Amino acid sequence: MAENMKNENLALDIQNLTIHYEVDGDIVEAVNDVSLQLENGKTLGLVGETGAGKTSTALAILKMIPDPPGIIKSGSITVCGHDVMKASKKELHAIRGKDVSMIFQDPMTSLNPVLTVGEQIAESVQLHEKGMSKSAALDRAMEMLETVGIPRERAFDYPHQFSGGMKQRVVIAIALACNPKLLLADEPTTALDVTIQAQVLDLMRKLREEYKMSMVMITHDLGIVAEVCDEVAVMYAGRIVERGTLREVFKNTKHPYTEGLFNSLPNPRDRKAELIPIPGLMPDPANLPQGCAFAPRCPYATEACTKAQPQPRKFSDTHTVLCTAYDDAGFHIRRNHNG
Amino acid sequence: MGRYVLKRLLMMIPVFIGVSLIVYCICGSNTRPILMKVGGEDMTLEEEAELKHELGFDQPILIRYVKYMGGMIRGDLGKSHITGDDVLESFLQTFPLTMKVAMSSVLVAILISLPLGIVSALKRGTLTDNASMVVALLGLSIPNFWFGLMMILLFALNLRWLPSVGYKQGIKSLILPAITIGTGMTARLTRQTRSSMLDVLRADYLRTARAKGVSESRVILHHALRNALIPIIATLGGQIAATLAGASVTETVFALPGVGRLVVNAINDMDVNMVTGCVTLKAMVTSVVMLLVDFLFALVDPRIKAQFAKGGKKNG
Repeated sequence: MAENMKNENLALDIQNLTIHYEVDGDIVEAVNDVSLQLENGKTLGLVGETGAGKTSTALAILKMIPDPPGIIKSGSITVCGHDVMKASKKELHAIRGKDVSMIFQDPMTSLNPVLTVGEQIAESVQLHEKGMSKSAALDRAMEMLETVGIPRERAFDYPHQFSGGMKQRVVIAIALACNPKLLLADEPTTALDVTIQAQVLDLMRKLREEYKMSMVMITHDLGIVAEVCDEVAVMYAGRIVERGTLREVFKNTKHPYTEGLFNSLPNPRDRKAELIPIPGLMPDPANLPQGCAFAPRCPYATEACTKAQPQPRKFSDTHTVLCTAYDDAGFHIRRNHNG
Repeated sequence: MGRYVLKRLLMMIPVFIGVSLIVYCICGSNTRPILMKVGGEDMTLEEEAELKHELGFDQPILIRYVKYMGGMIRGDLGKSHITGDDVLESFLQTFPLTMKVAMSSVLVAILISLPLGIVSALKRGTLTDNASMVVALLGLSIPNFWFGLMMILLFALNLRWLPSVGYKQGIKSLILPAITIGTGMTARLTRQTRSSMLDVLRADYLRTARAKGVSESRVILHHALRNALIPIIATLGGQIAATLAGASVTETVFALPGVGRLVVNAINDMDVNMVTGCVTLKAMVTSVVMLLVDFLFALVDPRIKAQFAKGGKKNG
C-alpha cells in the first residue's frame, strides 16, 4: 500500500502492465509485467532496442493500444490521479492532450497534410478549453508556434511547407498547447538530422523547465538519456531489466544487457577501438524463452538463467535489476567505464 | 491559376478535333441509310445521284468534314438529315433531363457509398465488411438493362408505386432510372471509399489527433475522410462525366428522352450531323467535368493547390 500513499507525488504510476498482441492465433507478448513510477517534474529515459515494448508502454498510458490486435491483459495505470484503465471514453478524451501529451517518432507523417498547422494546434486548445472561440484558439496556437521558435504568421501554412525539424517543432507545439503535466516523447529526434536533433532536444529541455512537466523520453540513444533524463529504465523483450537514477545506471551498471548497450557505443577516448556489439538478435516476442529472455545472448548466462524468470533485485531504494546471476553473491559484470 | 485554366481549355481543342474527325469519318462514310430514309427505298439511280448532290454527299469525306467543322467554329452544328432539327437545339433540349438523371443517381451513390465504404473500412474483415463488399460486387456485375427491367417489373407493374417509362410524372419518373444508374456507381464508389479509407486509417497523423483527445468520430470524419477524398472524387468525377454523356442503355430502357437516347437513335439512322455534333458536345461536357474535378482536388488538398500556383511544377 506504500504506492497508494505516494500517489499524489506521482505523475505516472504503472503497476504490473502486460500487453499482448494477438495476430492469427500467435500471441505476441509485447509488454510483460512492467511496473514504473515517475515523480512529478522528473524525466525518465525508457531505453531499449526496437521491439522492446517501449512504444506499447507509452501508448498504453494514453490507452491508445490499437485494439484489435492489442490487448492490455492486466495491470493498472494511474496518470496524474486518473485511473486510465477504468476511465470512460469521454474521460480519456479529456485526459489525452490535456494531462498527458505524446510526441511521435516521425514528424514527416505525424501532421495532417490537409490542415494548416495553426488549425492542428488550435484544435487541441479548443477541445480542452471549453468555451474558447475559434479566433482565440488560433491566437493561442500562434503563441505556441512562437514558443517553439516558428514565426506566428506560419500558422496558416500547411505541413508540406515545413522542413522535418520544423515539423517536429509543430508536433511539440501541439503536444504542449494545453500545458500537459506529463509528456510522452517517443523517439522525438530519431528521424531528424544530427544538427537538428540537438536543437530539438534543447528546445524540449527548455520547455520542460518552463512548463514544469514530467517527461518520459523513449529512445535507443544513451547519449540523449545522459543529456535529458533524471532516471533510466532499460527495457528488453517487454520487461524492464534495469531501473535506477541516471547515475546508478550509467556509473554502477548491473544488468548484462545494459552493459552490452554501453559496450556497443563508440568510445571517444579510443577512436580506433572496435565496437563490441551484443551478439545475436532479440528473441521473437511471439515465442519468448522460458527463463530470462536475454540469456541466449548473455555472456554470463548459466543454466539457472534459462530455467526460471529472474526476480527483481534491489541494489538501492531506486536501483532495481532483473538478473538471476546476482543470486551468487560474488557476481559482478566486467563493464569498462568508457563514459 | 488563370494560366492553368487557359492551358486546360486550349488542350480541349485537339480533343474536339480528334473526337469529331473519328466520329464523322465512321458515321459519314456510309451515306446509304440517310439516302434511303430521305429518298425512299424505290428511288431511281438518277434520283439518288441528285439527292446525293443536294446533300453534298458526292464530295470526299474530308472536304465534308472540314465544311462541317467550319460551321461548328461559328457555332452552327448543322441540322439533322432525317428530321431537319437543329443539332445544338436538340442537344440542349435533351440535356437537362440527362443532367437531372445524372445528378439524382450521383446523389443516390454518394448517400449510400460514403457511409458504407467508411464502415467497411473501419470494420475491416468482419461480417459487415464482407457483406457490403459482396453487395458492391453484385452492384458492379449486374447489367444496367436487366436491373432496370427488373425494377420496372417490381415497382411499376406489381407494386404500382412508380411510373414505368417516360418522363411525365416529374421527379417520380426519375427515381427508378436514378437507382438503376446509381447502383453501379454506388458499387464502384463504395469500393473506392473503402480502399482509400483503409490507406488513410493507418496514417500516423490520426494517432497524433487521437493523442490530442479528438473523439473517434471526429478523427474519422474530420481527419481521415478529407485525406481519403482525392481518389474518391476522381472516381466520382469519371462516373459523373460518363452519366452526363448520356446513359444510353438506361435511357432506352426507361424511354427517357435524354441525350443518350438522342445519340442512339441518330446512330441507328447514321445521321452524321446529329451524331458528330452530339458526341463533340458530350466530349466538351466530359472535359469540363474533369476540369472541375481537378479544381475540387485543389480545394481538398493544399499540396495540389501549391502545384497549381506554381504552374504545374512539382513541389518539393
